[in-house]
Amino acid sequence: MNAMIDDETLDRQLREAAPYIDDEGFTARVMVRLPATRREPQWLRAVILLGVTALGSGGAYLLSGGGRFVREGMIQLSSFPIWLLLVLAFGCGLLVGAFAVIFAIRKTPEVRDVTQLRF
Amino acid sequence: MELTDADLIARVLGDDDQHAFGELVRRHQSSVRGLLRQLTRTDIALADDLAQETFLRAYKNIRSFRGEAQFSTWLYRIAYNCFREDARRRKELVGVDDEQLQAEHDPQTVDPGLRHDLMHALSLLPLHERTAIVLCCQNGLSHDEAARVLDIPLGTVKTNVLRGREKLKRTLAAWAPN
Repeated sequence: MNAMIDDETLDRQLREAAPYIDDEGFTARVMVRLPATRREPQWLRAVILLGVTALGSGGAYLLSGGGRFVREGMIQLSSFPIWLLLVLAFGCGLLVGAFAVIFAIRKTPEVRDVTQLRF
Repeated sequence: MELTDADLIARVLGDDDQHAFGELVRRHQSSVRGLLRQLTRTDIALADDLAQETFLRAYKNIRSFRGEAQFSTWLYRIAYNCFREDARRRKELVGVDDEQLQAEHDPQTVDPGLRHDLMHALSLLPLHERTAIVLCCQNGLSHDEAARVLDIPLGTVKTNVLRGREKLKRTLAAWAPN
């Protein structure tokens, strides 16, 4: 009867043959095993982080005499020889590049999967 | 209006909403458990343990889901990895050849219904062909998606599907009532 069965019919029969599996408490068993939720929601964490950053920045501004050190720093920097400025700029570029690479790797799921999940 | 998988995932990510994750589990439990039952050759207890592990891993790593594939495809990948790790632990993940499979097949116990014949024929396929058939033919994944789930080349998936189909057809033809 099935000797001449074609791919489409076979696939359809396979789909129809796959029984729907009733939940029967499966979801509840999974939910029980989930790790506890974080207490504070995501937005609260963001607000706290922003608040602390703003407070810290304000405090630093006030303690530094209204940001005078920035002006003085710029004046000092302008008196440096050009080769030193180039070296400094190159070093900063390397540092930022290294951080960017590390961040990119950490944000790449495939790499994280390999290290954490052995996917 | 029913929330989409993407909406539910956004809730899990944004508010750590476990009820939203529960809804995702409810939606996908049947297909994930079905896949694992096929992989474990209908060892229901083991399949359900692995399915639980699959959803727990999915919850813990949901931030790594980028939405490029369907959520179900991502779940299948985790489920397949859970199965492989468990099989490796049990030292059972070895090449299962056709002779072994034929030895397991007892014609006296085959149910006469087509549904049972199909599922039984499917369970007799070698693991790699069975997995490809379940993913592509039963769960509707494309060959490309199945290749990503199984982490094997696309050509291998196509070959496994082709061979699996041929074997299923042959087996079903042999079982056909006179």
